[in-house]
Amino acid sequence: MYMTTTKIAFDARILRKTILRMSHIGKTAHIACAFSLVEILAVLYRDFVSYPKNDPENSDRDFLILSKGHGVMAQYACLKELGWLSEDEILNYFADGSLLKGLSDSRVYGLEVTSGSLGHGFSVGVGMALGAKLRKTEQKTYVIVGDGEINEGAIWEGALFAAHHELHKFMVIVDQNGYQAMGSTDEILKLHDLQSKFESFGFESITVDGHDEVALKDTIARLELSSSTKPKAVVAKTVKGKGVPFMENDNLWHYTRLSPEAYKLAVLAVDGVVK
Amino acid sequence: MRDAFSNSLVKLAKADPNIILLTGDHGYALFDEFRKQCPTQYINAGIAEQNMVGMAAGLARTGFRPFVYGLSAFVPIRVIEQIKIDVAHDNLPVVFTGDGAGFVYSHLGTSHQSMEDIACTRAIANLAVLSPSDRFELTMCMQAAYDMKSSVYLRMGKSDRGDIHSAVPSCEIGSLSNVQEGKEKQIAFLATGSMSRVASEIAASHYPDAALWTVPFIKPIDESQVIAICKRSSAIVVLEEHSVMGGLGSVITEIASENCPIPVLRIGVKDRFSHMCGTYDYLLKEHGLDRDAIELQIRSFLSRQVTACV
Repeated sequence: MYMTTTKIAFDARILRKTILRMSHIGKTAHIACAFSLVEILAVLYRDFVSYPKNDPENSDRDFLILSKGHGVMAQYACLKELGWLSEDEILNYFADGSLLKGLSDSRVYGLEVTSGSLGHGFSVGVGMALGAKLRKTEQKTYVIVGDGEINEGAIWEGALFAAHHELHKFMVIVDQNGYQAMGSTDEILKLHDLQSKFESFGFESITVDGHDEVALKDTIARLELSSSTKPKAVVAKTVKGKGVPFMENDNLWHYTRLSPEAYKLAVLAVDGVVK
Repeated sequence: MRDAFSNSLVKLAKADPNIILLTGDHGYALFDEFRKQCPTQYINAGIAEQNMVGMAAGLARTGFRPFVYGLSAFVPIRVIEQIKIDVAHDNLPVVFTGDGAGFVYSHLGTSHQSMEDIACTRAIANLAVLSPSDRFELTMCMQAAYDMKSSVYLRMGKSDRGDIHSAVPSCEIGSLSNVQEGKEKQIAFLATGSMSRVASEIAASHYPDAALWTVPFIKPIDESQVIAICKRSSAIVVLEEHSVMGGLGSVITEIASENCPIPVLRIGVKDRFSHMCGTYDYLLKEHGLDRDAIELQIRSFLSRQVTACV
């Protein structure tokens, strides 16, 4: 098995400030849904996902798929830490002729799939995990989905398949921030207990605080050490807009663009200078 | 034709262990030989087409060559977005085979009938659209679909209409297949899939000087060849068991109107669903696609051309 060798810190505050910089420069939405998965991505990149020769196209890599493509700014922030995106590319976000789009796109070096139409990345990930199993490699597949995203039926088709075919190196991480585009998941389409839902589909599942990096790391490691042949599901309880108090749990920040004043305040909040 | 499909698939899969056949719980008996000869290359993904297509993309990304099988009412229609985003966007080498296209499932009603698949798929960038007319063209198309190493939709319609060719035609990707050369300034029949047979019968009975071409490649299509056919013909008659909106008739009309305007009659399914239950032949009649109704359409079209010219 390839071990992750990266010594990059993936400091959550730096990642959030990159997200703020991008959304400010590009005048973009989807800040809050990027903020909720910062720690999930940081832990995966730092401790679990292996890219031999620091190459996201190396055929022996692990697979990390952001199925909830709306959170892609958080992944861009990580790609910048990895050196796969330059500061110029970050500063050109949403400029005419730039490659980085508002949703995940497979043409970006380091992104596995094109997502944003929801419920796609999960199944592609199941296919990659199946491919690794057929080839008898040790490659792992991690798919991050949103809790709103799993309204999509294709997710549950894939969950049945992953369990039936014992794809135990497949792990889904649900960024359960409790919101979707038009409101809270409880108001729109109740998900009930996600952990037991995944368990009933044949997954081994643990619920964890999705902003506690130590707990996240322990949870993922525990699931990977399991001798079970079940696929794995981490239900990560997160806060939409996490890191900037005036954005937290306020669904306006799914859509709202940053004014210059809000941008300054948000950066100060991430730095802990103001609340 | 279905035997040719199974035989081609087995032959390709035995030669390339990276071929994986995925079916959405369809193909009863069709895959008996495949399962016998290539058991580890067969996956029944369940009645879950969206996931099946997403998985095919994932398998292709890890170096496999998936062949995805379904009824054309479901693959590609139900999963058109997965095909577009997960597969065609990166031109991944996945072959989709949509079986039972047209009115094959005549007794089962609209859910299993498929008149829209060519129109939907050919608008998707990168995606090739193949539509063989008999078992020989199907064998050629299967090899072509594999050789293209890109995203392909292969349409299979009514499979028991008999042969058009006497051997596997050697066809360049995109080229039309000539059945009857015909004479200059006569009409040309261009047909695809199950309608090629009736086109050949009508041509043989009533239009011995007409040209007859089958069109196994809806996309890409050799435009220069189509233009050459338009230039030497007096009118074109296109036949397909598909909607006249967006199918082969549209392809030919688009090329002709931009390059060599010529009257084109599009024979196919008008803008309507089937109303009644019945045999395949009964439904063709309901849609005006039985031989008598087609002959009438052609006569009426040709007489209109004469009138228009006067």
